[in-house]
Amino acid sequence: MNSSPLRAAARRLAAGLVVLWAAATAAYLALLVAPGNTVDTIVGDGADTPQIRAQIIAEWSLDRPAVVQYLDYLRRLAGGDLGRSYFLQRPVAEVIGEQLAPTLALALAAAGLGVLLALVLAVATAGDRRPWLRRASSGAELLLVSTPPFLIGIVLLSVLSFRFGLFPVSGDQGIGALVLPAVTLALPVAGLLAQVLRDGLDRALDEPFVLTARSRGVRERTVLLRHALRHALLPAVTLAGWLFGILLGGAVIVEQVFGRPGLGQVTLTAVTSKDMPVVLAVVTLSAAVYVAVNTIADLTYLLVDPRLRRS
Amino acid sequence: MPARRLRTLAAATIAPLLAVLAGCSTGAAPAAEAAGEPRSGGALTWAVETEPITLNPHQYAQAKARLLVWNTFESLLTYDKQGKLVPWLATGWQAAPDGRSYTLTLRDGVTFTDGTPLDAAAVKANIDKLREPGYAPGVAAVQLRNLKAVEVVDPRTVRLILTTPDVLILDFLASPQGAQVSPKSLREAKNLKAGGVDVVGTGPFVLDRYVPGQELHYRRNPGYDWAPPTATHTGPAYLDEITYRFLKESAVRVGALTSRQVQLVEGVPATDQPLVTANRTLRLTRELNSGSAYSYYFNTSHAPFDDLRVRQAFREAVDVDTVLRSVYRDTATRAWSVISPSSPLYDKSLDGGYGGDVAKANALLDQAGWATRDAEGFRVRDGRRLTVRLVQAAPYVRDRRDVLAQAVQAAVKQSAGIDLKIALVDQGTATQAFERNAYEVFDNSRADTDAGAALNLLLHSKGGINRTRANDPRTDKLLEAGQATADQAKRAGIYAQLQQRVVAEQALVLPLYAPADQIAASTSVGGVRFEPTAGVPASAYDLWIGR
Repeated sequence: MNSSPLRAAARRLAAGLVVLWAAATAAYLALLVAPGNTVDTIVGDGADTPQIRAQIIAEWSLDRPAVVQYLDYLRRLAGGDLGRSYFLQRPVAEVIGEQLAPTLALALAAAGLGVLLALVLAVATAGDRRPWLRRASSGAELLLVSTPPFLIGIVLLSVLSFRFGLFPVSGDQGIGALVLPAVTLALPVAGLLAQVLRDGLDRALDEPFVLTARSRGVRERTVLLRHALRHALLPAVTLAGWLFGILLGGAVIVEQVFGRPGLGQVTLTAVTSKDMPVVLAVVTLSAAVYVAVNTIADLTYLLVDPRLRRS
Repeated sequence: MPARRLRTLAAATIAPLLAVLAGCSTGAAPAAEAAGEPRSGGALTWAVETEPITLNPHQYAQAKARLLVWNTFESLLTYDKQGKLVPWLATGWQAAPDGRSYTLTLRDGVTFTDGTPLDAAAVKANIDKLREPGYAPGVAAVQLRNLKAVEVVDPRTVRLILTTPDVLILDFLASPQGAQVSPKSLREAKNLKAGGVDVVGTGPFVLDRYVPGQELHYRRNPGYDWAPPTATHTGPAYLDEITYRFLKESAVRVGALTSRQVQLVEGVPATDQPLVTANRTLRLTRELNSGSAYSYYFNTSHAPFDDLRVRQAFREAVDVDTVLRSVYRDTATRAWSVISPSSPLYDKSLDGGYGGDVAKANALLDQAGWATRDAEGFRVRDGRRLTVRLVQAAPYVRDRRDVLAQAVQAAVKQSAGIDLKIALVDQGTATQAFERNAYEVFDNSRADTDAGAALNLLLHSKGGINRTRANDPRTDKLLEAGQATADQAKRAGIYAQLQQRVVAEQALVLPLYAPADQIAASTSVGGVRFEPTAGVPASAYDLWIGR
């Protein structure tokens, strides 16, 4: 009884490491087969002579076989060394370290806001109490999911920042500068989550246990919040990993539009300039967060659904 | 006739707009400043389009970073409005009669903001550092190619010894790469190549905060007292502080300006310019960049552009004025030469010399053997379509050059049956295409202050970006002579011959427009200026906030 959770944790950790290795390797291979070589991209649009090339090759040890560079990368990664960025000429850990907090703040605010909004929408419109509200909400959600975040961001900025001056476009103006980017990122998330949650609620409301509860005289709101919601949460929790993907992808655009610092911009620049060390570090970090998020999701399952705890 | 009335209406709306544009593009006379008399104090926020890759001037590679460089760093020389070199941190320079050495006298009393004095040893430390392997390979291999040694003659005098006469070394001394960095920074800075708050210069401002992805913050250097003769005042800068915020979306930059969240923005695309000009509290200024004009370079190493007639035909097939008007709404300045019209080396006699003659284009192609057309209207020869490929590297596409390419594509197809294939790709793919010689058209503009530096790279048979793959001894000779001649009038003559050679005789290029920079600013901001010769926004030194 005592060793089994430990063993389970060890297995999870091992699986996580395999995912990390696979992600880093896949990114490495992808960058390797992408057209053009690293020297080309470092030279860029500037002067290009054999002498310059030789110096770049020597500086970054690019003349060694790809396999050796890859193994070297893994070895350094295992030791916690992320290397130096080809382009920014700084340690990758430093580059990512200083960009992590703003993206984290944005992602957490957006996730929180998105989940909250989705819960409110779903609970308010589940069942068949208010068909008109349900239709309106459903339509709005669809619109949010299908509108590019770029457009949502520009519209929010134009109205709330440029027109009415309620929020700053970006900068170190504290929490105020976080509102619009977080809302931009939260809206599509809320749209999709609300749909999934409402479906789950609808299904739960048709279950016999709801009938039992109602017949015991439990109030409709209690039925919804205490009984049905718990069932409806499961499929939503499954989406946690997906949610993380949306947030990271959305951050690239949102940070660009709002002029916010963050990992999104760093990643975009690194990918377009084939800055190997930075791309690999971002991929590995994303994989790590992905593993963590999914582990938390699994644990949440146990909390939400007592039946899983027994097995 | 609704169409005609519409046109009249359009003309009536556009004409005043043009007048406004024309009025504000002249070098602003201080007397006409809406901001009133210059005064000291206050803080400004400026939204810029591009975040610099590095803040170390020695590593400078982005024209858009120039306005930041000169806030904290300074060079030994600079250019005045006429494109003449003038002293800055050096009080003067002297070339040896044989052109193989330059002796520079340094200004007295200049100190870096970390307290280190600027002396001959500091200058030598900078140039030696630039030649250190792995530090700035581009500068060492190009600008300092002909430098043999740096000698400290005495604390105020430094001598550059060359292996061969090279006047472009002076352009280097006036460039961001030649800017003076505190020797202490060169030794001790944590991330020297990236630059940052611990890499300091002698400039009117001190960088005291850098939030990557967000902003740069500078405060005034109170001890500053060595402004270049091109500045409009002396002593410390007017502003206490200035913040540059990175806002990459032009709509967001302009929105931030109109909502007064920032007081200045640079990079205002044609589509957003009416928003600025329609607002009476804002003012738009623009200036042409120096260096090479934005041009299409024809790859002469294989068919079809190995045939002079086809190159000429391509140029005649494009009505450049019409194309520019449709893409840039009368905000672009047409270029007639590979050199920007704002450069003192520009050859005016090329104006109007070619282009837009559809009948001639078709006649030339008939003569060159591309006489028949296929079902889609493209010309064919020996069963092969007259196809030319333009490869654009996405990171370098600015000013809607992708849209411009589409307009050119439509023009050459319609008027002459030429199939221009456009590929907008990542940098790696583009470089691969250039290496494999799998392209016929290459597009480029460079913002070098001395056009000769740009042409060395673009047109010399051994040039680093010689994408025409031209190998013309006469062109090489002219370029080398231009680099070795110190006499300005003689140089202008040499580069005029060169332009005649590559533009008129060989039709190596289709010059399109002269890139420009724009600044939109609140009328309460005074001293908005462009850097002489370079034509890009100047540092914040002359800026002030009016009442």
